[in-house]
Amino acid sequence: MDKKYLKNGQFSEFIETLRLFGDLHGPTMSDTGVFAFSPVSDPSQLRLDYQRTQIPPKKYLLPFREEILSYREGNYRQSHHHTPEIILFGVHPCDLDGIAYLDRVFLGDSPDPCYAGRRARLTLVGLSCVPDDFCFCSGLAEPPTCDLFLTLQGDGFKVDALSARGKEIAQAAKDLLSLEATGATVPLQRTGITAQDPQLRFSDNPLWDKFATTCVSCGACSVCCPTCYCFDVREYPSLDGGGIRLREWDNCLFVTHGEVAGANFRGSRLERLRYRFLHKYCGFTPLQGMTSCVGCGRCKEVCPVDIDLRELTVNPDQGTESP
Amino acid sequence: MTTQNSHMHTPFAATLLERRDLSADTALFRVAPEESALRTLCSFVPGQFVQLSVPGGGEVPISPADLPAADGTLELCVRRAGHVTEVLHQAATGATLGLRGPFGTGFPLEEMAGRPVLLLAGGLGIAPLRSLLMHLLRNRNDFEEVTLMYGARQPKLMLFREELAALAAKGGLRLFLTVDFAPEESAGTFSCAVGLLPDLLKGFRFDAERTYAAVCGPPPLYRCLIGELQKAGVEAERILLSLERRMRCGIGRCCHCAIGQKLCCVDGPVFRASELRQIPEAL
Repeated sequence: MDKKYLKNGQFSEFIETLRLFGDLHGPTMSDTGVFAFSPVSDPSQLRLDYQRTQIPPKKYLLPFREEILSYREGNYRQSHHHTPEIILFGVHPCDLDGIAYLDRVFLGDSPDPCYAGRRARLTLVGLSCVPDDFCFCSGLAEPPTCDLFLTLQGDGFKVDALSARGKEIAQAAKDLLSLEATGATVPLQRTGITAQDPQLRFSDNPLWDKFATTCVSCGACSVCCPTCYCFDVREYPSLDGGGIRLREWDNCLFVTHGEVAGANFRGSRLERLRYRFLHKYCGFTPLQGMTSCVGCGRCKEVCPVDIDLRELTVNPDQGTESP
Repeated sequence: MTTQNSHMHTPFAATLLERRDLSADTALFRVAPEESALRTLCSFVPGQFVQLSVPGGGEVPISPADLPAADGTLELCVRRAGHVTEVLHQAATGATLGLRGPFGTGFPLEEMAGRPVLLLAGGLGIAPLRSLLMHLLRNRNDFEEVTLMYGARQPKLMLFREELAALAAKGGLRLFLTVDFAPEESAGTFSCAVGLLPDLLKGFRFDAERTYAAVCGPPPLYRCLIGELQKAGVEAERILLSLERRMRCGIGRCCHCAIGQKLCCVDGPVFRASELRQIPEAL
């Protein structure tokens, strides 16, 4: 039997072991009082009791703004980034699902060079969680898409190594792990949200009008979504004749998102909300029929006007999720 | 990473060889791609698009106005309509530009072989359809009757006017030109019908049961033309539409060009009217 139980007393030392494999990042409380994934210099900074960070871990793979190309005398070259090895500790199952979805988008056909470079240097250490009122994930994927997964258990953790990298780390920490279980695992009951019928967005459900009249197009739901990855591309010349091309997060709630020369295909808020619903719950080529909503609850928590697109999928008679 | 993959993300260099003004705001740019790009670009099928980079401006999707010439040069018909195209219009001959692609789906040429083809272009929509037209005329024996109906707002905005007239004069192309209105000063300079494309189509007799129609134009044009074509008896499967969206990446990632659950850059830009029936926001 594998030694795979970590007692709370060994936790700090375990964290120090993780640090041997790269720069350690994890959930911390920022100066402004929000939970954020950020560099961790001391294990005491880690907030294992966090519910969700304001910005999801997608920021490690798709930085808010990133140089993708540079040019000189008209010749474009791919930009190379020095990406350090990062150990991202304490990622909840929903956010792991989010990263798995982004992997499908960016590492599929013709992998994105910038994303692939960062992903190869990101080690994910998952952490089980206790859902709150905003959560609606479908629970832990089997197997979870991470290198190492820690399940909270009594006065410690169960540690599962799920990749070669994870096994390497577990091996390095073997003296800290023991054979005896630290306690019982609390089973989690989750609801989740399944892929939806695309035609639902044209339904005469009165909720659509309600959403469209209350939405303020602030775009917070998209910024904090672990699977929203729309980007815009901009180019900035410099005075010496060269320049750079950047990509940065874009937002489908913004009016500019559907613009073409002389027209806008999503000029109204209703159309933009429907677009978001379609992308999130029905999927685009080649991920049609796959919901990308991982149930982290961020959009529900941050929306200033309490819009919850999930209400559309609830059967009004029974007040439950439709199948 | 393969060369081909890296060039899906990084533009090939292309030299701007010449520029020919077609109207006050539209010009035809001839560019010579670098040697290593030729093989990739030669796979171009009419209807596909390339991502044209203008250093200092950015990148825009452009559907080439013709197939690559024997020397590999490419013709791009571009209207000055935004930031990037403005910078392109200011570029000097000899400037280095960038090209990625070709991307997307082209017209189903094999399926269209042996059939009559009706091209319907409105305004700048002539640009993508010109590459199809050139392919049809160069392989004239593979297709039945080839007809082009082209509508512009007014005579001076009609692109490729003399060239199209010359092609029609050679035989092999039935050409119908129309303008929305003709200002007085253009009287006598040029002869064509006055009226809208759908009206021109109404009076046109053709073998609708077998014809493939290719349509490209400003958004409002599609609905009227699809209606007229179907009324005439052209099935929705044989109505091919080249749609415009602002593709930022061209490879299905940035999500700006979604049409329903399809992405214009990978599933299009050429769609069949039958594919779009369930997507009210498509047109």
